Amino acid sequence: MSDKHNEDEHEHIGIPGYLGVFSILIVGTILTYFAATIDMDWIFPGANTLVALLIAFTKMTFVMLFFMHVYWSSKLIWLSAIASFFWLAIMFAYTMQDYLTRSAGIFSG
Amino acid sequence: MCFLGNRKYIDMASHVNTHDHHYHPPGLQHQFEDMKQQEESVTIGMWVFLVQEIMFFGGLFTVYLVFRSKYPMAFAAGSNHLDAFWGGLNTIVLIVSSLTMALTVFYAQRGDRSKQVILIVLTMFFGSVFLGVKAIEYTDKYNNGLVPVMGLNKKVKDGHATEHATYALPFETKVAAAEAGAEAHPYVNPRGEFQWTDITLVEQALEEQMAHPDGDYLTRSEEIGYFSNGQIDINKFRDKVQIFYWIYFVMTGLHALHMIVGLGLMTWLLWKAWKGTFSAFYYMPVEMSGLYWHFVDIVWIFLFPLLYLLGRHFMH
Repeated sequence: MSDKHNEDEHEHIGIPGYLGVFSILIVGTILTYFAATIDMDWIFPGANTLVALLIAFTKMTFVMLFFMHVYWSSKLIWLSAIASFFWLAIMFAYTMQDYLTRSAGIFSG
Repeated sequence: MCFLGNRKYIDMASHVNTHDHHYHPPGLQHQFEDMKQQEESVTIGMWVFLVQEIMFFGGLFTVYLVFRSKYPMAFAAGSNHLDAFWGGLNTIVLIVSSLTMALTVFYAQRGDRSKQVILIVLTMFFGSVFLGVKAIEYTDKYNNGLVPVMGLNKKVKDGHATEHATYALPFETKVAAAEAGAEAHPYVNPRGEFQWTDITLVEQALEEQMAHPDGDYLTRSEEIGYFSNGQIDINKFRDKVQIFYWIYFVMTGLHALHMIVGLGLMTWLLWKAWKGTFSAFYYMPVEMSGLYWHFVDIVWIFLFPLLYLLGRHFMH
């Protein structure tokens, strides 16, 4: 394995790429703050939270793909990264389908 | 005695075998064929750990989801009392530390010792700034009776001596208070209990509900959970805000604990990097610590809007 080959293998996105991801994250943070100050409840209740989560998911995707190098990783790593969200979704969905459907009575309130 | 002797013999034999047949590069563990295989195994192991961490925090996010869906107004009221400035600053600080961490990996892969050391020190610096800001925030909660455990708040017997710290209030509230010419009311908390007196958001929601009986301004849980005999019950509402502060302290506390562990990892990395351990051939400890550090950053990316900003749009 020559040095040149090694360099190529570890190139990833280089310093400009890292700075690019960094600026996207900073812009995302500022956007999160200002989006939170605007009342979006007129669209539908909870629109603010949805927007905040969309920005957070975008930021997370950039961190995972480029800072955590998932983009250049094997399929097994992609699979474990995605699978974790799948299990998380199951936990959220099954918990909420219980709590949101409890009728009024001793269990609500 | 005999067993020990045999074992030693076997160990020596395997050792000799390994070294006889192929060259052992530095950093390669005995059980792996080559660096490539070792890197893949290490990475998948780290990711399995991170997936477990996601589920670990996921349990807390589920708690958040359940209670927020039941008592959105109490959550908004509690959240508006957190200082979005400190939360936002910490978000930026963590993102900068993530950048320095990513660059540490970049230079470790190139075996640049001095840049590695500088960047690890910078990462540790930003990590410490984060914890420092958290300490400021926790102190503020302690002084204002917002720690959800009785007796763990500052005990104030004489209301004149210390008045409610106004810097703790959100900016918008301070402006409103100044405009109304409201004087700071004496704050008394002799037993260090959780304190909450602000019911503005419930009143607003109730007004809307009265004006539009068809609308859903209060959830079913809220209609039961905030009122006694048709009146807003300040104590019942306080208990629901207290739930928010429980979740706030447990989630940010667990996150801060991860930061402390991360700083420990960084100290170890600094030592290794100082000795010039890492090169293009062997840098996996840096890469794996980086994965951990970025994971902790991702958790905060979600905690910031969910804890600090959730009710901000009610202030207008």
